[in-house]
Amino acid sequence: MEIKGSVALVTGGGNGIGEAVVKYLSSRGAKVAVVDMVQKNIDRVVAEVKAAGGEAVGIQANVTSEADTARYIKGTIEAFGQLNIAVSCAGIIRDGTMLSLDKETGKVSKKLDFAKWQAVIDTNLSGTFLTMRDAAEAMVNGGWEGLLVPISSVNKVGQVGQINYSSAKVADALMPKIIVGEFLMRGIRKIRCVAIAPGYTATPMLTGMNQDALKAILEDVHLGRLVAPEEIASLIGYIVENQALNATTIEITGGLCYPKGIAK
Amino acid sequence: MKKILYNDMQFSVEPSGDRWDITYTLPNNATAVVAAGLFAGLPESEAGARALALIKTIFPVGIKSVGPDVLHPNTIGDLKIVGPDVTHPNFIYWDKDSVSCPKAL
Repeated sequence: MEIKGSVALVTGGGNGIGEAVVKYLSSRGAKVAVVDMVQKNIDRVVAEVKAAGGEAVGIQANVTSEADTARYIKGTIEAFGQLNIAVSCAGIIRDGTMLSLDKETGKVSKKLDFAKWQAVIDTNLSGTFLTMRDAAEAMVNGGWEGLLVPISSVNKVGQVGQINYSSAKVADALMPKIIVGEFLMRGIRKIRCVAIAPGYTATPMLTGMNQDALKAILEDVHLGRLVAPEEIASLIGYIVENQALNATTIEITGGLCYPKGIAK
Repeated sequence: MKKILYNDMQFSVEPSGDRWDITYTLPNNATAVVAAGLFAGLPESEAGARALALIKTIFPVGIKSVGPDVLHPNTIGDLKIVGPDVTHPNFIYWDKDSVSCPKAL
């Protein structure tokens, strides 16, 4: 599939990896729907795409809402006439260990709030599912060639302090196998699904963190720096144009290792 | 340039080469871009009609909503904040269901 002339929808398109995906695809001739929770981020990204000569529409929405999902899929098609690429970048973190113990008594002093579990599962898993499902529905009914891109994470392997996030991201990483298998079963041949599992990426969330903690993280990255959002965007661009990539999850981590050098 | 007043929001459909941009005026009179580079080659009347349809899709609820803060956590103590369910059969759309406001824009 060619990027030029295609129509892409990017959730979480107002900053971080999503913003980089929007700008990368737009710079190569795609028309892009920027979906985000924060209107001022949408306004900025759409204005920057316009200034660069691109075509974009901005839609404020909550990816955990079924009604909102239907609305931004419909809005994308009303704006550009079709939908070919759906990238589900919207995501949140609410970190914490499942149990915390009192140092003196050894008894449980705190449990991970269920709200923290639910919010991450709602956004990172259910939100991704809704976008993938409704984008695929539109692609099938429209007869358009398509690519679905759930965003997983290298922490799908299981990161302490992220039982909610890792649980959602391992499920996101499974989606390509299941979705493409079902497409094959149903005779849907024109739509592919490839997930991306980024490592530690230079988004505002990470670059703004405690610099000592950031330095400790980078000691385990063979590349010696954070992955740039633009590097993830260019990988997605490559996937768009390489039809053989399908039903898989691709890691892009810069060589993230466990301490003592075992690749994660 | 075509101006559209919808749900108390002021939109403009402006030519940009052979395409059309949709902008809206914020409460502080600043301008934000809703969409850029749409409807290539269409005349103003047709572009305006398609822009209105798109605006209605993007901003579907006919009640001007100030807040809630979408960045705010969805729980405050025991109180869970839940947004309006626009799929509920009793939900009222201003532009479709209201008897006190004009149905034609």
